[in-house]
Amino acid sequence: MANLNLAIKEKRPLSRAEVTEKYPDIPPLVILKADVQRRGVHYSEAALGALDLELHATTGTHIFGARDGKIAARPESFLLRDGSSIITTPTPLELDPYLVDLHEGRPFLFEDGEPVEEVDYWPRPDFYDKTSSSGTLMQNVVSARPQRLNIFPYRYCTFWNNGNGCSFCDIVTQMKKGKEELGIPARLDPLEVKEVVREALLEPGRYAALFLTAGSNVAGKRAFDDEVDYYIEILQRVGELFSVPNIPSQLIGTAFDDGQLERLYRETPLTSYTADIEVLGEELFNRHCPGKAEYIGYKEWKRRLVRAVDIFGPGRVNTGLVAGVELTSPGGYKNEDEALARTLEEAEDLASQGVSTVYIVWSPRPGTAIGDQKNASLEYYVRLAAGLHGLRGKYRLPIGFDDYRRCGNHPDSDLSRLHNF
Amino acid sequence: MATAIPGDLIELLNDPAATKVLATVDEDGVPHLAVKQSLYVDVAGRLVYTELLESSRSNRNLVRSIWFGKSVSVIVSGAGGRSFQVKGKPVKTHISGPLFRKHYQEIRSLLGDVDVAAVWIIEPQEVIDGSYAARSAEERSRFPFFDHLDRLVKPAAPAA
Ligand code: SF4
Repeated sequence: MANLNLAIKEKRPLSRAEVTEKYPDIPPLVILKADVQRRGVHYSEAALGALDLELHATTGTHIFGARDGKIAARPESFLLRDGSSIITTPTPLELDPYLVDLHEGRPFLFEDGEPVEEVDYWPRPDFYDKTSSSGTLMQNVVSARPQRLNIFPYRYCTFWNNGNGCSFCDIVTQMKKGKEELGIPARLDPLEVKEVVREALLEPGRYAALFLTAGSNVAGKRAFDDEVDYYIEILQRVGELFSVPNIPSQLIGTAFDDGQLERLYRETPLTSYTADIEVLGEELFNRHCPGKAEYIGYKEWKRRLVRAVDIFGPGRVNTGLVAGVELTSPGGYKNEDEALARTLEEAEDLASQGVSTVYIVWSPRPGTAIGDQKNASLEYYVRLAAGLHGLRGKYRLPIGFDDYRRCGNHPDSDLSRLHNF
Repeated sequence: MATAIPGDLIELLNDPAATKVLATVDEDGVPHLAVKQSLYVDVAGRLVYTELLESSRSNRNLVRSIWFGKSVSVIVSGAGGRSFQVKGKPVKTHISGPLFRKHYQEIRSLLGDVDVAAVWIIEPQEVIDGSYAARSAEERSRFPFFDHLDRLVKPAAPAA
């Protein structure tokens, strides 16, 4: 308590121990997760030595890049003791990441030389080493989290065509690296996706959700028609594998118009829909997401999210934030209190209309417009998680399609494990 | 502090005919009890419990326990009034990986088309023998005033 009082008096950012003490209702594991996401990780040689390429999933097929800019065989991510994941990126040592090292022969997170928490490297899916009929390594077509199948249909975003990509985004750099260094197809063949998903589903109990995301594609008769057509084709092909018309699934796409949303819902087995607004507040949205602002605009983005609730149903639509960019300069909120208040105010406007908000911790990546700035304090991320979780409680919004198991990347939706709706 | 479950009690816990009840506590401190026949003791001496339903009260209470360091209890009752209780702490839940897969397959081969949400590992903290004979002997030695006098009367001498 003495340290906590001193830290508050000195107005310095609280350490993890101090945040844990100050917020006893937030599980320490969730606080740790947010901090690891915030600071990243660095692997010791021993930790990398414990990586078994036959048993563990390794990095390679990400749509977005790592903080140290490398593509190399490292653990894809970890599972914590409570079954949630920490999705994090290898980070240069000078940025003060957590160290992953061995403790009593097992991988542990270390802070200041002390073992903090054991972690399990993500298990390697059975299908990863198989090849599809076109001769492509299956892990380069579909990838996996501990309980989710990921389909990244293509790896570009047309907002970058006129330089209007989001300020924190490195999709284009990552696509080039993936293509050149790993041979990942830039655009997937829906029939090949179906073939790989069929193979993946042979592994008992491994997948509880199917997930799709790609960059925005403005092409088509109406803007984004081509993006929608392509998602529909993939979802339909994959849907042919199932005996039920709707499957636990999530699409993160652009904020589509009413007709496009109706088509996605009616013509595919899709059961939930996400359109990431990235940052709440119109000015910040315009600044950080100029492509989204140019083609859709902040108010219309929100309107389309609300409209999606009419189509997909309450508790089946959400939007994601890259939390921390709202505090970058120029143009960011002046302090974390203001950022939190404004963000939660906007999130409540959405929640009151049936749209959930989740966040990921912004991890500044090299080569992006704001990659040389810092993300927010741990306390900010904890307060934001509690605030967004509280809104879901207030408006009774289930988040089962984007929770610790089906996603694992949102400290706020981890908290929903205690909700009974 | 972890404790070891004695061998004869492990045998009882691993006996499919024994009744096993898992007691967890909700956010208001209200106990929730449920018969959980999937409970067994693994080679490391920890309790293993396979949860079928993500949304069950037991599962939510176990999540709360692992997050906030709270205890749970398991009561086992077998033939001849043999029973005991293990207090423990959930230390890990498997939702993926080899152990999860093994249990997923085993439970489905036993019960048919059921789902599995998680495999919980509970570390024993205290073992309490709950059978009447053991508890009665303990009470008599620790609480010598807790008895009815007629139970202490000398048996009458047999009639000549
Ligand atoms: S919409 Fe923004 S974040 Fe998403 S891929 Fe395009 S530029 Fe990147």
